[in-house]
Amino acid sequence: MVRGVAAVALIVGALAIITRSAPADDKLTQVMRFAERGTSLFVSTDVTTLFDSAAYEHLDDGLPTTVVIRLWVYPKDRKQPVSFQLLHRQVIYDLWDEVYEVALSGPTGRRIFRVKYRAEALKLMTTVDQIRIADTALIPYDAQFVVAVVAELNPVSAATMAEVRRWLTDGSGGGLDRGGSFFGSFVSVFVNLKLPEADRVLRLRSQPFFRPRPTP
Amino acid sequence: MTTAVAMAAATPGRAQPIVDAPPPAPPPLPADAQDPEASIGDASADLDVTIGPVITVEDIVVTGNRSTARRVIERAMKIRRGDVLRAGDPRLARARWKLLALGFFRTVDVALVKGSARGQVIVTITVAERGTVALNRLWFGSSAIAPWWLGVDLSDRNFLGTGLHVGGALAYVAGGEVAGSRAQWAGELRLADPSLGGSRWGVHGALTGHHGSEPYRVTGPIGTGAPDDLRAFWYRRIGGRAGATFAATPLTSIAADVRIEAIDAALPTAPSRAWPDGTTRTIDLGLAPGASRVTSLAATALYDNRPDPALPHRGTRVEVMAELGSSLVGDYDFALLLGRYDRFWPVARRHALGLRVAGGVALGDAPRFDRLHLSDVNRMVTPRVLGMTTAMTAPLDLLGTANAEAAYGEYGGNLVGEYVFQWWRRPNRIYGGDVFVAVGLWGLRSDDAQPHAGLPIDAVIDAGLRIDTEIGVFEFSLSNAIGRVPRW
Repeated sequence: MVRGVAAVALIVGALAIITRSAPADDKLTQVMRFAERGTSLFVSTDVTTLFDSAAYEHLDDGLPTTVVIRLWVYPKDRKQPVSFQLLHRQVIYDLWDEVYEVALSGPTGRRIFRVKYRAEALKLMTTVDQIRIADTALIPYDAQFVVAVVAELNPVSAATMAEVRRWLTDGSGGGLDRGGSFFGSFVSVFVNLKLPEADRVLRLRSQPFFRPRPTP
Repeated sequence: MTTAVAMAAATPGRAQPIVDAPPPAPPPLPADAQDPEASIGDASADLDVTIGPVITVEDIVVTGNRSTARRVIERAMKIRRGDVLRAGDPRLARARWKLLALGFFRTVDVALVKGSARGQVIVTITVAERGTVALNRLWFGSSAIAPWWLGVDLSDRNFLGTGLHVGGALAYVAGGEVAGSRAQWAGELRLADPSLGGSRWGVHGALTGHHGSEPYRVTGPIGTGAPDDLRAFWYRRIGGRAGATFAATPLTSIAADVRIEAIDAALPTAPSRAWPDGTTRTIDLGLAPGASRVTSLAATALYDNRPDPALPHRGTRVEVMAELGSSLVGDYDFALLLGRYDRFWPVARRHALGLRVAGGVALGDAPRFDRLHLSDVNRMVTPRVLGMTTAMTAPLDLLGTANAEAAYGEYGGNLVGEYVFQWWRRPNRIYGGDVFVAVGLWGLRSDDAQPHAGLPIDAVIDAGLRIDTEIGVFEFSLSNAIGRVPRW
């Protein structure tokens, strides 16, 4: 037993060294613009860096490209958000009319644009322009808040991920040793492709902001 | 009135309203507030996505498939030549994932190009193949009754590019000092077509042969594993299973199997167990003497929605199997019911809790090899090797219940709670690692329980590391280590 514990400890130690340089969930700080109108708080920013050159080229492939942008408002240095907003965007290049059809869904409903140039489509897909993110009642005067943005390019549903990874657990069962394969955990060696939950993910944090108390 | 909100570290921006009417309230916070920034997947599933022009699929062109047959790729997609659909149709967007779900490809790129006439398109699919041979299991170890054993289970998910699954296993167990024992070996060959003609139906079959010897206790204290306290009998098994599967949903499958097996067992005339207090009791070895036959029907249902079965942090896996054997066409009347339930809940960012419940009952005159084995319910015990017993090691007596006597039982199960910490995730090579700690209970009850045996229940503990890598999935755990090294 001591040998077993020592072996596990050795492996854990080795992996600690290997993974010491593993990237954390780095969040970029990006300056965002905030505005208050009536009882609503609006934000403006962009997630253009979600697209690298390959993703940009893929806008021409005739298939839908999806961007899901989620925004949270957090009290500064707190982990529980006070408000949330979801934006869903999709673009398809019409091969025959040679235009980009862009559908934007958000708090104001759904709108569809047809634009001629890829750069215009990219701008529509990645610009967050005056999006309502919170009721001002949730943002007390003088208290500092930040907005977190997570933008995902072509995210995949959990069900699809489960389907794609399902083959991993197509175990060795089927023979007479049904009990062992039924109860056993699976440990396999194979050429393993890890598929991300989205083609690319961008995580942003705004600079801290606050609502100034109105002057009398 | 629009008011710019002050910013503590930047110049205030000027607001420009983009709506004329008061906007609706923001959506509520996601239910999973413990990890608010976890991916919610493709939000388009809830939306009416019908954008894009109407197109007709003129042709489907596949490139990059060096070994995989083109028909295997085409039938996995839900698109056919002549289909009329919108370019935004989810079938097109999901085509890539349907192909990746085969497990044959490292990358899949799908694109549309203009066809020969307006509105017609050619779907181009570019794949990069990956190795599909998997080492499913590797058995090795040493115990007081077997000096060494070695076994391997290999499979190819895409045999000769046909999409057929072919697998096999071989194992050898060297003979030990137990009286009546001999060297054991076993082999298995499996063949499956998981999707007949691209349909939701599949077929599978397996042939297995054993040349073994099975140990049992005849003297000594409870749970003894000393060779002098054991005897063994020889047996041979040859048989197979064949059946059909139906994928009711992408995450749910049901299967039906027929099993026919011939057993030839050289049983002792009157096997008995002598206890240190001088009492002797007949024991049930669970097999008919000489030649016998097992014929049974089985049904299995499986549901698994865990997005990452290698390093689970959320989702559920449920599997239920029922098997019925009859003496009308065999020599054993029995019913076997096995169930397994795994559920994981993320409780905070990088932290998850899991519940694993597994168990079963073997009613009637179930053959010895179909009964629940100690290693099925207690991972801290050496597992059987392709169905062959290689150790009679007593489980740890953590609760002082002195329950080490039964190696097989008719009723058994375990209930394990697990805490999982997501140590790291990265995009390549060593994709991720999770540290886990598990605590639970296991139980194994035999109708042939010896009066001296204690309560058939005890605790199980485990801790270790699961890693998901480019070359496979591994688990390094305390229970694995305990079960595979020779001891007392």
